[in-house]
Amino acid sequence: MELKEKLISSFMAFEEQIDVNTDLHDVRTSALKNFETQGFPTKKLEAWKYTSLNSVLKNDFTVFPKKESAIGFSDVKKYFLHEIDTYKIVFIDGVFSSFLSATTHDGIDACLMSSALTKPKYKLVIDEYFNKVAMADDSLTSLNTAFAREGAYINIPKNKVADKPIEIMYFSTGSEAALMVQPRNLIIVNENANVQIIERHQSLSGNPVLTNSVTEIFAKKRAIVDFYKIQNDNDEASLVDNTYISQKEMSTVKVHTFSFGGNITRNNLNFYHKGEHIDSTLKGITILDGKQHVDHHTLVQHATPNCESHQNYKGIFSDKSTGVFNGKIYVEKEAQKTDAFQQNNNILIGDKATINAKPQLEIFADDVKCSHGCTVGQLDDRALFYMQSRGIPKKEATALLMYAFSNEVIESIKIPELKQRINSIIARKLGVNMGFDL
Amino acid sequence: MLEIKNLHARVEDKDILKGINLSVKAGEVHAIMGPNGSGKSTLSAVIAGNEHYEMTEGEIELDGEDITELAPEERAHKGVFLSFQYPVEIPGVSVTNFMKTAINESRKAQGLEEMPANEMLKSIREKSELLEIDRKFLSRSLNEGFSGGEKKRNEIFQMAMLEPKLAILDETDSGLDIDALRIVANGVNKLKSENNAIIVITHYQRLLDYIVPDFVHVLYKGKIVKSGGKELAYELEEKGYDWIKNEN
Amino acid sequence: MSKYTEDDLKVELENKEYEYGFYTNIESETFPVGLNEDIVRAISQKKEEPQWMTDWRIEAFRAWKEMIEPEWANVHYDKPDFQAISYYSAPKKVDPNKTLDDVDPELLAMYAKLGISVDEQKMMNNVAMDIVVDSVSVATTFKKTLSEKGIIFCPISEAIKEHPELVKKYLGTVVPQKDNFYAALNSAVFSDGSFCYIPKGVRCPMELSTYFRINQAGTGQFERTLVIADEGSYVSYLEGCTAPSRDENQLHAAVVELIAMDDAEIKYSTVQNWYPGNKEGKGGVFNFVTKRGLCEKNAKISWTQVETGSAVTWKYPSCVLKGDNSVGEFYSIAVTNNFQQADTGTKMIHLGKNTKSTIISKGISAGKSNNSYRGLVQISARADNARNFSQCDSLLMGNNCGAHTFPYIESKNPSAKIEHEATTSKIGEDQVFYCNQRGIPTEKAIALIVNGFSKDVLNKLPMEFAVEAQKLLEISLEGSVG
Repeated sequence: MELKEKLISSFMAFEEQIDVNTDLHDVRTSALKNFETQGFPTKKLEAWKYTSLNSVLKNDFTVFPKKESAIGFSDVKKYFLHEIDTYKIVFIDGVFSSFLSATTHDGIDACLMSSALTKPKYKLVIDEYFNKVAMADDSLTSLNTAFAREGAYINIPKNKVADKPIEIMYFSTGSEAALMVQPRNLIIVNENANVQIIERHQSLSGNPVLTNSVTEIFAKKRAIVDFYKIQNDNDEASLVDNTYISQKEMSTVKVHTFSFGGNITRNNLNFYHKGEHIDSTLKGITILDGKQHVDHHTLVQHATPNCESHQNYKGIFSDKSTGVFNGKIYVEKEAQKTDAFQQNNNILIGDKATINAKPQLEIFADDVKCSHGCTVGQLDDRALFYMQSRGIPKKEATALLMYAFSNEVIESIKIPELKQRINSIIARKLGVNMGFDL
Repeated sequence: MLEIKNLHARVEDKDILKGINLSVKAGEVHAIMGPNGSGKSTLSAVIAGNEHYEMTEGEIELDGEDITELAPEERAHKGVFLSFQYPVEIPGVSVTNFMKTAINESRKAQGLEEMPANEMLKSIREKSELLEIDRKFLSRSLNEGFSGGEKKRNEIFQMAMLEPKLAILDETDSGLDIDALRIVANGVNKLKSENNAIIVITHYQRLLDYIVPDFVHVLYKGKIVKSGGKELAYELEEKGYDWIKNEN
Repeated sequence: MSKYTEDDLKVELENKEYEYGFYTNIESETFPVGLNEDIVRAISQKKEEPQWMTDWRIEAFRAWKEMIEPEWANVHYDKPDFQAISYYSAPKKVDPNKTLDDVDPELLAMYAKLGISVDEQKMMNNVAMDIVVDSVSVATTFKKTLSEKGIIFCPISEAIKEHPELVKKYLGTVVPQKDNFYAALNSAVFSDGSFCYIPKGVRCPMELSTYFRINQAGTGQFERTLVIADEGSYVSYLEGCTAPSRDENQLHAAVVELIAMDDAEIKYSTVQNWYPGNKEGKGGVFNFVTKRGLCEKNAKISWTQVETGSAVTWKYPSCVLKGDNSVGEFYSIAVTNNFQQADTGTKMIHLGKNTKSTIISKGISAGKSNNSYRGLVQISARADNARNFSQCDSLLMGNNCGAHTFPYIESKNPSAKIEHEATTSKIGEDQVFYCNQRGIPTEKAIALIVNGFSKDVLNKLPMEFAVEAQKLLEISLEGSVG
């Protein structure tokens, strides 16, 4: 059976399994209907022109894993930011693992979406926020909404600063021959509150995995949110990450996406402005090899005056890898005095790598400063030679140059241990044993 | 030539000038000094007619004619020139093209024919030599990528080309090294005559060593609090602006 | 006077009349409306074409019937009813073989209004001109001077008869009949256009120029231009367009094919000023044009366009850089005002090694218009050391218009170097005040600033055209400033 039919036909069974209220039932039903109409996106859609899911969708995915798998902390310790204390919300094959997790209700909520969706005390919050910023007409988002059941629920109350970073981890064990999971995260950062979040999807086996994730983030007045996505999965794991961010006045939201691995990765990152003096930052480093494919699709919807946005994506592509950058700055008529910048720089190495870029501006307000720049090029041969002539081997010299190329993005990581971690992943990725303490 | 009486002006609901009186006659050089925020640049902008500043009270007369209702370009046509503290970049418009347009617009306003090309070229050559400006510089886009010194020299070059009756030099010395300062001052001095007047707005006394004023006025909190001869500038340099602040 | 603001200018712009909106009462022969194979045959017959040409048209028509009008562009309009258009209209009295003195005096009067004096063309000695009214070429000047150099410059209808070997060999090789919806339509029904062939090693001594005019109501204009620059030759080609003001929309679907053989260079400049519709957005020309050039080894094609007219523009002059070391350039100014919509840009297809392309696009939006740049830079896997530089700048005047930038960058070759930059800005109040202070009134200041903004492109136009283009920019934007 095709995956689409499999999903649609299992919907009733799915709803029976969960304790569902009528409001949610309506939301799910209409979402499913939308997915049924549109199906999985194909290359015929302008938004999916450069990314095809066909090769992934032909797997016979299990959509509800039957077996529960346990893993020991020592097996997965290296994926956590273990040097520092963090809250942890951990899922194994889509199911919450209380053993690996460290959740909290003390001052802040860092816990489970399944509780939030079912327990009466969260009903008001769910009514107000669930599926409110996620794009209702997007087919994969709808698919996730229909089957939304588990994920991270984070709620930081007014004036509260989360005392340590929160790690959200999704492991898949390979207990199924092929697994599809659909995590759903809801993050609410109230007035003047502050939080740092790290999210990672990690497959522990060579079996195919397809993750269709939706994250909704609400940043209220003066809230500060720092969100880091680490994508360094193995070659059989594909990810569609749909992240929607709603920002109120004077809030600051930064999303960093580090894409170093995986089969096909598609990031849909959407910012919506709902107040003045908002600051949005979207940064990313993508380093790919083999046949890896990463597609960054960004949107910043400037709807209000006096806001700014900064996009900066760096990509290094070797072997037969493919990079896509499709970034859009949309400035509505009302959004005067917008400052919106977008930068996308790419380096191609090896002779089969491809880069497709479509940096777009759509501007309807006249008193704005908007610009974008996009480059495709190579490492500077002269710089390479210069370093070699000083005795630095070519491989290390190349790595240093690539590191320098990505440094602008690395520099803005606020958690020192995470910065260290990203550095070592980059070093590993580039095949060198260097600390990069530039 | 210039008569300012009880001038009040504000910007965005904030009162900046609170009753300025100033009288400038042909052939005179006036210096206006004052600490940051005292209203020096506002005064120059109001005389030039920048609509960003709202004049709330008072009179500005040029040769006995009230100019307060005139558009900035009409004031320019009557001989008011402002050397900007921060000259504006206009990409793609060469210095020459800009000057040609400005001169011919002024001539048009005075009912004169356009300046013949050969006359224009001759004038450009003379004036650029006066300010030691490289001719290549004149085909560059106006102020785009100019160094601080080039921008200021270009302002004085335009002053030379337009031959104004009243020139206001707003912080022309800021951002200039000593050589550029000498060239600029030298240019201004050569343009000085019995028929025109110059107002030099500056924070420091340095420029006044080169362009010697007949009168020095000290502006503080939107009012002229002291006036005197050139020795006032030295006194100010020696005692600092705290002297003024403490007295007021 | 003292309060003349950008808003006042906007009002003035919106009220500005289209200067070329007159209709000339020339007796015309016009086909009945509608399109079918019989009409296609009838056009071919009317033009006394050989059978191969008729077959070629029929093939295109059959393909077109199966095609769907494209919708991906960022423009919105009521689709033309292709059965309500007359596909052939020709001024009756014109015989291309007659001398200029025999041309209908009404026509000559019309050229005078357009600012083209055909008589003067004789004196000017540096522009040879082909004039196409509605769908028919009415006058070609300087034929003799050109033919001494072996240059062929004539209406394409004449070339089909006189030089069938050239037309047959090259027509449709750069823009195939089935390339897109409008190109297919054009291939089926084009009635005339210009043909130009520059022999090996010849440098064309003068600018070649075609002036297009839609005069008759209810007609479409479908001209076809084919320029062939043989090895080592050079030609500069100019194209201008106007149309009368009419309440209904007129369709213009042209195809231009350029072939630059080894070491050849073609410079193709367009000043497009089709009627843009009135200030309520009524009427105006739908300008759906396919322009493409093919560069062989070491060849160079430059497209320069100043687009101020048309209600809707859909146009992407492109370069296929097939030969090694070939060069493609695209310089564009697109001005939209009132309800105009433009979706324009270029495609640079890098196939050969060491190929270079440059794109400079300046978009100016005013009124309630929408101005989009859409461009593709494609580097194929074999195109080693390809280079591209793109710069797209938008200037917004007022807060009811839109500026859009849709660049597509596709690189499959790791030695490619691509740089793309885009900015959006408005005219700064400080810039206007600075000009004012030097005695330049606001209206003139804005003209000066817009001209400065467009300078990189204006500089690329041949002298004769640059002045006209500058004037056109002022007319389109600066109201009464002249």
